[in-house]
Amino acid sequence: MNRTDANIGENILERMRADLKRALDKPVEDRRWAMAIDLEKCVGCNACTVSCIAENALPPGVVYRPVTEEVVGEYPHARLRWLPRPCMQCEEPPCVNVCPVSATWRRPDGIVVIDYDACIGCRYCIVSCPYQARTFDFGEEHTDLSAHPGQPYEIHRPAFENGVERQRIPHSDKSPVGNARKCTYCVNRLEAGMLPSCTNTCIGGATYFGDLSDSHALIAELAGSPRVMHLKEELGTSPRTFYLS
Amino acid sequence: MSEQLPTTKKTDPDVASDKPQAGLNRRQFMAASAVTGGVAAVALHQATRSGNALAGTAGASAGTYPLAKPEHVIHSVCLQCHNSCPIKCKVYDGVLAKIDGNPYGPQTMLPHMPMETSPAEAALVDGKLCPKGQAGIQTLYDPYRIKTVLKRAGKRGENKWVSVPFDQAIAELVNGGKLFSSVPGEADRVVPGLKETWKARDASVMKAMSGDAKAVAKGSMSIADFKAAHAAHLDLLIDPDHPDLGTVNNQFCFLAGRIEHGRKEFAKRFVNGGFGSVNWFEHTTVCEQSHHIAYNQSTVPYKGQGKWGKGKHHLKPDSLNSEFIIYFGTSPFEANFGPTNMTERIVEGISNNRMRIVVVDPRAHHTASKAWKWLALRPGTDAAVALAMAKVMMDEGRFDKTFLENANRKAAKADGELCWSTAPWLVRLDDSGQPVAYLRATDVGMEAEDSFVVSRNTELSAFTPEGDSPAEGDLFVQGELNGIKYISALSLYRAEADKHSVSEWCDLAGVDEDDLIEVARELTRHGKAAAVEMYRGVVQHTSGFYNGLAVIMLNVLLGNADWQGGMMKGGGHWHEDGSKHGPFNIVKGMHPGKLAAFGLKVNREGVHFEDTTLFTGQYPAKRPFYPFTGSLYQEVLPSSAMGYPYALKALMLHKGTPVYSVPGGQAMMAYVSDPERLPLFFACDVTVGETSMYCDYIFPDTAIWERWGTPHQSPDVAVTGSKLRQPVVAPFADTCTVFGVEQPINMESIMLAIAEKLSLPGFGKGGFAEGGDFLHGEDWYLRLAANLAKGDKPGQELPQADAEEHRIFLAARGHLPTAVFDEKRWKAAVGEKWWLRVITLLNRGGRFQAADKGWKPPYIAHAYKGQFNCFSEPVAMARNSMSGKHFSGVAHYEPPLDCAGTPVEQGNHELALITNKDILGGHSRTIGNYWTQTYCRPQNHVIVAASDATALGLHDGQEVRVVSRSNPAGVWDLLNGQTKDMVGQVKVSQLIRPGTVGVSWHYGHWANGARDIVIDGTVVPGERRRGKGLCTNAALMLDPVLGDVCLTDPIGGSTSFYDTRVSLVPV
Repeated sequence: MNRTDANIGENILERMRADLKRALDKPVEDRRWAMAIDLEKCVGCNACTVSCIAENALPPGVVYRPVTEEVVGEYPHARLRWLPRPCMQCEEPPCVNVCPVSATWRRPDGIVVIDYDACIGCRYCIVSCPYQARTFDFGEEHTDLSAHPGQPYEIHRPAFENGVERQRIPHSDKSPVGNARKCTYCVNRLEAGMLPSCTNTCIGGATYFGDLSDSHALIAELAGSPRVMHLKEELGTSPRTFYLS
Repeated sequence: MSEQLPTTKKTDPDVASDKPQAGLNRRQFMAASAVTGGVAAVALHQATRSGNALAGTAGASAGTYPLAKPEHVIHSVCLQCHNSCPIKCKVYDGVLAKIDGNPYGPQTMLPHMPMETSPAEAALVDGKLCPKGQAGIQTLYDPYRIKTVLKRAGKRGENKWVSVPFDQAIAELVNGGKLFSSVPGEADRVVPGLKETWKARDASVMKAMSGDAKAVAKGSMSIADFKAAHAAHLDLLIDPDHPDLGTVNNQFCFLAGRIEHGRKEFAKRFVNGGFGSVNWFEHTTVCEQSHHIAYNQSTVPYKGQGKWGKGKHHLKPDSLNSEFIIYFGTSPFEANFGPTNMTERIVEGISNNRMRIVVVDPRAHHTASKAWKWLALRPGTDAAVALAMAKVMMDEGRFDKTFLENANRKAAKADGELCWSTAPWLVRLDDSGQPVAYLRATDVGMEAEDSFVVSRNTELSAFTPEGDSPAEGDLFVQGELNGIKYISALSLYRAEADKHSVSEWCDLAGVDEDDLIEVARELTRHGKAAAVEMYRGVVQHTSGFYNGLAVIMLNVLLGNADWQGGMMKGGGHWHEDGSKHGPFNIVKGMHPGKLAAFGLKVNREGVHFEDTTLFTGQYPAKRPFYPFTGSLYQEVLPSSAMGYPYALKALMLHKGTPVYSVPGGQAMMAYVSDPERLPLFFACDVTVGETSMYCDYIFPDTAIWERWGTPHQSPDVAVTGSKLRQPVVAPFADTCTVFGVEQPINMESIMLAIAEKLSLPGFGKGGFAEGGDFLHGEDWYLRLAANLAKGDKPGQELPQADAEEHRIFLAARGHLPTAVFDEKRWKAAVGEKWWLRVITLLNRGGRFQAADKGWKPPYIAHAYKGQFNCFSEPVAMARNSMSGKHFSGVAHYEPPLDCAGTPVEQGNHELALITNKDILGGHSRTIGNYWTQTYCRPQNHVIVAASDATALGLHDGQEVRVVSRSNPAGVWDLLNGQTKDMVGQVKVSQLIRPGTVGVSWHYGHWANGARDIVIDGTVVPGERRRGKGLCTNAALMLDPVLGDVCLTDPIGGSTSFYDTRVSLVPV
């Protein structure tokens, strides 16, 4: 063997951040945000799940990025496989039209958001989402309050979801308690020039993010891969989150 | 903890809530829509919606996301597992809001950002980090953290405590007395204070005694002569008839669990040089110590005159450049050293078709899910699999002959190799054919002093490893000259591989022969760009050391060390200890009055039985000696309990929980529960843990995010890196005042306070001699930081922080109280000259070499450039202290053995028990991480193979008790009137070898918030969710000879986690 080069890895995160910067220079309606998850690289560690919980200060029961685990095959050929499942940010989102108070809508860049101040907690959207991407905030917290005072990360740590600084108050009637909640591709981070938290933290480098309308963006390259797969395509939801199988 | 809070009815997520909402609630809406169809509500809302940032019309603005700004970032280092990833901590209004990977760090970004990157730019980039590291926020803000010093108010283990002032606790520890007179049965018990144990206080007296005690132990001085020479000081000794036990000071012991560099050296300074005790220990034998010792013995260099030096303790595959890697007994995606850095390198290779991997493990773990092949071996047969592969390779000539024939550096160099091995070195055999030692030239009448011998075309020639003339030898030779029988070292390994046919080895290991042969052949199809990695699963056996050697030898056959894609030693670190021309050399000259601690360690590690006065020419010893290892965690308490070689008087337990984490740890409970046998027992940790609950005093500790440290980097990283942990948020626990300076209560301040009270040398005013005062824990770490900022060589100094970086540095620390941050104090500690460079270091959480400096194609840049030993002479020359028989110096397969070398009987229990570490929990304290524990994995399971479940009539969710020969009741007896059942829920699985039961480690708690404790008369209720699942350590086999400690590898010292057979009894 006589190698002349060493592989030091390709910094995909920095490439995608450059893609992001270019997208932010464009008007919001010209951006088409999308996420790709390479299932060959996902190792089922739940770093994304926890990162999302921490980023958005999510309470028990509210999860934006679950990772489901499945065993395929039988011994000795059995293996594990995983499916991280953020919001699909559908182009035809079934969750939007069912909202009786128009508290949820699709932004021009494709991100489906919820206005927590408008949401009345009817949960029609939760039921209508074929991907179970929405969960309900019942007002709980991780700390057992029957025994302990609330901990600083829950009662003194605002979240910045949707670009709004908001201190969640457990067991209160203040939003987002009592609301349906969902992944926004960390839109507040995007607008600050940062990638979604799940994308940054993935220890397998399995999550990709960017602007589909930019042909130089990594995400646009991946969207043309023969490995591309969408969940429940037959429903006509046209998910912006896609998979490389 | 007892503050009254609104209690709420737990809401069932499946049941609709009627919680009132702002403006309009659900019930109102339903009522309204029944009449109006909800139109009014919609209109009302839409009227107010225009201009909302949510609409996506607002432009980009970091103002909406303060965590993107460097003023909210402090880079530090994780310790949720020992991998110690560089982390980026985001602080908002004094609260640790988020933990991400540090983008400057090579473990947390691939490739990492250059050091030149400004903090403002780095603030926009989060590195990767495993879920456990991110959940550290919940270890920091664990509701069960202790704030004040707790003193026992009941019997040991009763879990009744009173808060006492720090100063009182320190005074009581130091002075002793009737400290527990209010506890029934202890009214008149006088606790010996540390001032009694700190007996020898004169460095020169100790030094003189130390030298003579060694002479007595070696037999070159008589006891009588020793007593005559030291008549005035015999009272300082534990036993004047055995001066090699050392001074009474040794009866103070420090035992640490999760401790790392920076703190290690701090604590050693206190224990060894300050207190004068040799008994400083950490916990590596419950992790993977035998793996380190196998690497060490495989790489120890020959120093001349029969002496061998220090080897490398850890090599890893260069997985960014490998084409094929076999993982034995480890899942790099979940544990190892560690998932955050290892995973991406591997999956990138698999995804790009650069690499294929194979997993050899009884369990198809996460890594196996990406493997080309999974070889589900029987637990404990790693050596059998490795020897079978080696046999295929040797029989088919699939090894690097050119590499292996090189016997010394000169020969290697001529072939473009950086390493060589002892494969062709001749080994002398005794009359029975057993290998004794490497053949010396003088053994066969050659006139070459201190030289070894190779055979080339039947001609013997003498050489030395570092000699001027290249030496090459034939690989498979044996013969006899002048009545001396010899054989080449590689032939010894081959003879072990030849003990069975490949088919027999595969039967023994329970793996498919075709698979194994295919894997062995594939391993040899990639030249140097293939590697074999092992970790905990291979070595936590009584045969751990030999299993390790067998696996390492596969790499030797490939000759892959220091080649891209082969094995590497890692990029290492700059020397924070200042030993490489740092401004503060803590190793030398900075410890005035340093005591010369001497004598046998209480666990008898690092010494040969025969080199002590306890050896009378007879075997067995009362307990085994462990000459080749250290960090022998499991033997500390049982040895003291037996009083062999002596009993301890005082024990400081730091961030460790031996009764829970050591196999068979329940056997230690009787000892730690008994104040008559262990007179003074205190701990320092963040919570009341499974072992610290038996203490007399528990001091709070600063959590990882509140304190300092300088952990070293995994050898998986090819570039040099030095990580710096630093305070990120204000400490939760109370502060204390030591040497007149306010500081957090933690390990450092406890040691400083004891030092102040006793006037231990090397602490306080002038504690660092010319290097300044040692008044606050940070005085130590800031000097280490200055050493790092300088680097190891001239020209490596970090640049000075500019005004903007200085501003960011201060702004990011605005929330820290003066007890932990005061610029004037910090600057004074390192001096004006270094301060701005230290800021550059602190702003990045360490310093890291540029990402492309890890390789000099086709080699690894930070190369080992040394020797691999195919035969371990030091081990072969030593004897098992229990049987008196020589150890083998060659990799081989052996079944589980007790300390005297006898196969272990396990009764009629037939299922092999294995454990694993989940990525969601690394140690006992991670049970408080609700994000991972409650959501991702609320409990562990008893994993049973589907075919076994059918045969045993077990089904998913069924509760079973785990019982074994050592624990037929399947229960932990806590000796406080409580028990903990070893009962868990069955999970039927296709992912485990039939005949094997898997239970992950870190669940099954009875402390750490799992059960009620009483503090100051108030019950602090435990939480059921923290006690879920089971810990099977109490089922693991105790050594049948000793009865009070787990089975142990006599060479590497590893505790046996995978040699126990159990039965599952439905509950």
